[in-house]
Amino acid sequence: MQSLELPLVLFTVFSQAAIGLTLMRAIRVSAGGPSGDAQREWRVIAGLMVVGMIGSLFHLGHPLGAPRAVTHLGSAWLSREVLFAGLFTGVAVIAALALIKENTTALVWIAAILGLGVITSAGMTYAPPALPAINNALPTMFFLTSAVILGAGFGSWFAGKERQPLMTRIFTTALVVGLVLNLIAPCVWISGGTVMHMTGKAWFASGFYWTHLAVLIACLAVLWKNKTIPTWLPVLALLGELAGRAGFFADTIHTATNIGGLY
Amino acid sequence: MQKQYAFLVDSERCIGCFTCAMACRNYYHQEEGIIWRQVYPLAEEIYPHRERAFFSLACNHCANPACLNVCPVNAYTKREKDGVVVHHQDKCIGCGNCIRSCPYGAPKYNPVAKRAEKCSMCHERLDADLKPACVQACPTDALQLIDLAELHQTNEVQYPAGFPKMESVNPSTRFILPQMPKMVRR
Ligand code: SF4
Ligand code: SF4
Repeated sequence: MQSLELPLVLFTVFSQAAIGLTLMRAIRVSAGGPSGDAQREWRVIAGLMVVGMIGSLFHLGHPLGAPRAVTHLGSAWLSREVLFAGLFTGVAVIAALALIKENTTALVWIAAILGLGVITSAGMTYAPPALPAINNALPTMFFLTSAVILGAGFGSWFAGKERQPLMTRIFTTALVVGLVLNLIAPCVWISGGTVMHMTGKAWFASGFYWTHLAVLIACLAVLWKNKTIPTWLPVLALLGELAGRAGFFADTIHTATNIGGLY
Repeated sequence: MQKQYAFLVDSERCIGCFTCAMACRNYYHQEEGIIWRQVYPLAEEIYPHRERAFFSLACNHCANPACLNVCPVNAYTKREKDGVVVHHQDKCIGCGNCIRSCPYGAPKYNPVAKRAEKCSMCHERLDADLKPACVQACPTDALQLIDLAELHQTNEVQYPAGFPKMESVNPSTRFILPQMPKMVRR
């Protein structure tokens, strides 16, 4: 097991919740009709981002150097991630402070696009060649799925009554996608090269992995019974995503682990 | 080809004595637990004999270094004159991205400085026409400094078994494979 990377777990999951909320807001705004209390939702989005960004600083040996992290935009996806996250937070804070009209679409779409930029660049950052199991599109897919699960889940707190079925449908679909992705990925790794195989085995042996799966299944069971999203359910989903992310960082095996052995 | 210094690891000569790794520690006095050069024994699946075979590895000073590409603050540079990849600790903010990304585990986290660090091929020694400390110390000449631009031998291997094959970073280290021992029957 490698490091838990708690600050990164908090930053990625919180920022994805914020981005997911923005995406859901964009969908509701575009669908027309009332889209819920805009300002309260923007405050939550901005709050999640600010807490996540502050959390991420604890991951740095020298937090005061953080502003310099945007100096290698030419090739470092981490620089691009920091830039997108900064811009997204800026837009969210502006929206939270200003009195936004109920149906202002431009701002929400700008934020949604910046948010997708955060998810893509984060996905690329955590897909280095040294981690063969995730040196592909999987991190981006995991992150996008988390964003939609949390966005639709918490979005149900802000959506009006008439939009609840929409949020429930999206939440359910994202949970199913998350479950399938998390079941298939380690199964495929088991048949890969040595380090991928080790990663598959580490995930299957991980409490984080099974907690995440159990939460996804429990959420689906509750939805199946209730047909709507109970207020507490997004909180459970959040705990599941936090556990899953801790496993993502702790249980993915690095190529250097096996030097001297067959690859 | 431009000048590119590289380590040549001759596993036929290497006896796994760790002198190279110790020379590096003696020269740089890394914090407890941080190792820039490591001697890795080859697994039995690769070299199935009682006398063992080893790879002495540090940073590979790659042609397209993952560490350099992912560092958000440009703390890595690749020297034009000889291809040595240098980490500038004063710029590093200790984000760990190079550590996560280098397929060879070369950069390490220094918990006291709270920044990354790695083998710099003793570039100050190179500039003074000296060999890297590890190369100079090797008692069997199993570790040598070569320039890939002038390499004319043909028995070097870039990706032997036991060494991650990473074409995207194109590591500079070259290997001479250990031979199988002669079986003498009476
Ligand atoms: S071995 Fe690792 S640290 Fe050294 S140059 Fe290559 S990618 Fe960078
Ligand atoms: S730990 Fe330092 S050198 Fe490594 S990527 Fe981060 S800032 Fe760059």
